[in-house]
Amino acid sequence: MSKEAPLSVAEREFILEALRQDSRLDGRGADQFRPLKISFGEEYGHVKLELGKTSIVVRISSEVTKPRDDRPFDGLFNINLEMTAMGSPAWENGRSNELEAYVTHVLDSVIRRSNALDTESLCILKGVSCWSIRADVHIIDYDGNLTDAACIAIMTGLQHFRRPDAVVRDGQVVVYGVEERVPVALNITHKPLSITFNTFNEGHNIILDATRKEEQASEGELVVGINNGGEVCFMSKFSGAPIDAMEVVTRTRVALEKVKELNAQIEKVMQADLAKRAKKGMAEESRAENDR
Amino acid sequence: MTGPTASLSHLSRADGSASFKCPTTGYNVLGSVNAPIELPARRDALKPEEATVEVFVKPGNTTAGVGERYVEGILRTMLQKVILGRERGFPRRGVVITLAILGGDAVERGDSYLTLLPALLQTSLLTLLSAGVPMSMTFSTALLAVTKSGDIISDPSPVDAKTASSLHVLAFSPKGHLLLNESQGRFDFDTWESVRERAYSSCRGAVITGSDGDIAMGEEGEDSRAEDFIRETVEDHLHRDYAWKIDSA
Amino acid sequence: MSAPLILLPGDEVPSDHLPSNNSNPLKLGPGLRLLSQPSSKSTPATHVLTATQAGLVTTDAKRNTVSLLSFSNCRYIPTVNDLVIAQIHHSSVDYFHCMVTPHTAHALLGQLSFEGASKKTRPMLKQGELVYARVLSIGVGAGAEVELTCVNPATGKSDPGGLGPLIGGMVFDVSTGMAARLLRASSSSEQSDIIDGLAVLSELGKKLESLGGFELAVGRNGKVWVDCSNAGDSAIKATIAIGRCLQTTDEKSLNPADQKKLVTRILREMNLAS
Repeated sequence: MSKEAPLSVAEREFILEALRQDSRLDGRGADQFRPLKISFGEEYGHVKLELGKTSIVVRISSEVTKPRDDRPFDGLFNINLEMTAMGSPAWENGRSNELEAYVTHVLDSVIRRSNALDTESLCILKGVSCWSIRADVHIIDYDGNLTDAACIAIMTGLQHFRRPDAVVRDGQVVVYGVEERVPVALNITHKPLSITFNTFNEGHNIILDATRKEEQASEGELVVGINNGGEVCFMSKFSGAPIDAMEVVTRTRVALEKVKELNAQIEKVMQADLAKRAKKGMAEESRAENDR
Repeated sequence: MTGPTASLSHLSRADGSASFKCPTTGYNVLGSVNAPIELPARRDALKPEEATVEVFVKPGNTTAGVGERYVEGILRTMLQKVILGRERGFPRRGVVITLAILGGDAVERGDSYLTLLPALLQTSLLTLLSAGVPMSMTFSTALLAVTKSGDIISDPSPVDAKTASSLHVLAFSPKGHLLLNESQGRFDFDTWESVRERAYSSCRGAVITGSDGDIAMGEEGEDSRAEDFIRETVEDHLHRDYAWKIDSA
Repeated sequence: MSAPLILLPGDEVPSDHLPSNNSNPLKLGPGLRLLSQPSSKSTPATHVLTATQAGLVTTDAKRNTVSLLSFSNCRYIPTVNDLVIAQIHHSSVDYFHCMVTPHTAHALLGQLSFEGASKKTRPMLKQGELVYARVLSIGVGAGAEVELTCVNPATGKSDPGGLGPLIGGMVFDVSTGMAARLLRASSSSEQSDIIDGLAVLSELGKKLESLGGFELAVGRNGKVWVDCSNAGDSAIKATIAIGRCLQTTDEKSLNPADQKKLVTRILREMNLAS
């Protein structure tokens, strides 16, 4: 049950033959992403992402907690991903599956362990209190390439999120409400994204952003986690057919191009949204003044 | 005040889906249903002649806990009553409903989960309609709070709900029968009776029996009634799905 | 025709919407059920038709039927005599076990339920292969098995023609509502370009004729099989173009004029325009 329905022979053969002729079912080129749509909810850090028919919602939240005993200067950051029957009928509610473990691992490595979010900046009072940042990933529609889509959504969320301001006064931690002080942005050190390549036909065809059916017909997968500066923070080739070493090098270059493109797009939609919020905030402020 | 908004069938993998947004409570719930599908691990054994309804509630920014399991239980009993689990293709299969709370604050520890219940009920109803799951009837729900001073507020805001002395969730069938009654807090019978009347009018429009026995719409009937809201959402979507047929006729 | 009538579960079908042809018994389509209201002191027992799904009421005066059209994205539920495209999952001594919709119980297809099949000549279908079949029976009672066939047991012929294994080509997923429309459009005897608001098939047929045309099989379970093997080198591209045209028409609920524009645009994109 926890497996997607297998592809039919006709579908597999057709997808492979089409790729041999450099064609994909949706008419895309091999190195082309599906149309990416990012929008925001009412709160900060609420991101809705659509990558073709794959659809993800990410919510970032924060709370004050006690830091870990062995890391008194560090805040906490966790990525939570739970697959439900909403994303695909093949997934069972309340039970984890292989894909979930795999995607969680990649997201953790690319974003959390590469220190994209500076956890030291989350410390409020050494050993006593710190911010705990939580990213909840809801996969609401699954049509392939979960890792890249989730990565984009989480990184967008982290950059968009604003936490309440907190200060230490006479050894006491004071958290200001959103109305009292302008909430603060998180400290992002770099912007890594994962780029997944799928290989077909003994490594002759390598494509980006595979759909679910393409993933099922694929013989192997290469994931590259890379930031705008070209620093590779994650690379994996878990299973499947072998891939030529030179190919890995050239694909890393392709990944860099893509990450730059995607980060530029994230920046654009985010600035547009923040500008809209600022405008709305000003309007509300002046109205409040008029009321007085 | 703006009324709730909803849309149907925007997910491609699920058999039916709906999103529902309530402006006063701030909740935005996305629901999906897969039905009829094969359930793993022979969970059908208890009722071999009927469909098994499963409900899963996923909070937006916390881990699911006791509160979610509690509302799941209420939803499951309620929906099992209206779903026709013996229709063709449904016996021994599962109706799997997944509800994700995408907007609104998480219910804080110790707070009532009843504020969440109406949004979840409305979403699951729309979701089931969108998937074409056979049902004996629809229903409409209302959330009411009784303040410390004894006033009844319908659709209370989170702050109102927190300070209320009691919270009530009621659901009515289109024929006016009471289908669900969940209350929390301290209240007496008379209060409950007026809560019921208020809920009835917000679900079905105020019905005032005139002196000549005619049933006339009260003033409150001009507000959007919960019942009409469901119907309009469904009609809008069907008009779009069957534009080719309706236009040519 | 009067304004479209939309019902929700539990709503009664008004009697003035029922076909008035009384010579045949009234037939109920999906989404409706007959309830009898118990007799009370003042009124005798009556029967009412109520909806069990949300949908649009449609009637056919000729065949004296009334049915409810629900949302087009619903999951397919096997119904006798429907044509489906099934995928072989595994085979046992007497049967092929087939998948009609994902994540539901397998349907059975007799090893000998093919035209001209005998113990020696029966097709040896492997896992993942596709068959075009008719739903023979859906069984009685809870959890009964669905049985498929590729042959009419009375005549021993594949009826309608074309039932049997589907070799090569490609299947595309569409909504069940779209599948029903495509079936009517492709099997209709009407000599019209637009049937059920669909112009996409006839338009594709015209535009791809020079390439040798294409073969199409539509399954009510939301699958469309397309084969363009006559088109030689452009076979793959032509198949992709047909799939994209059908899926886009479905997803965007395009009207006939837009369907024609879509066909022209996609064929040009794929360099197939003649």
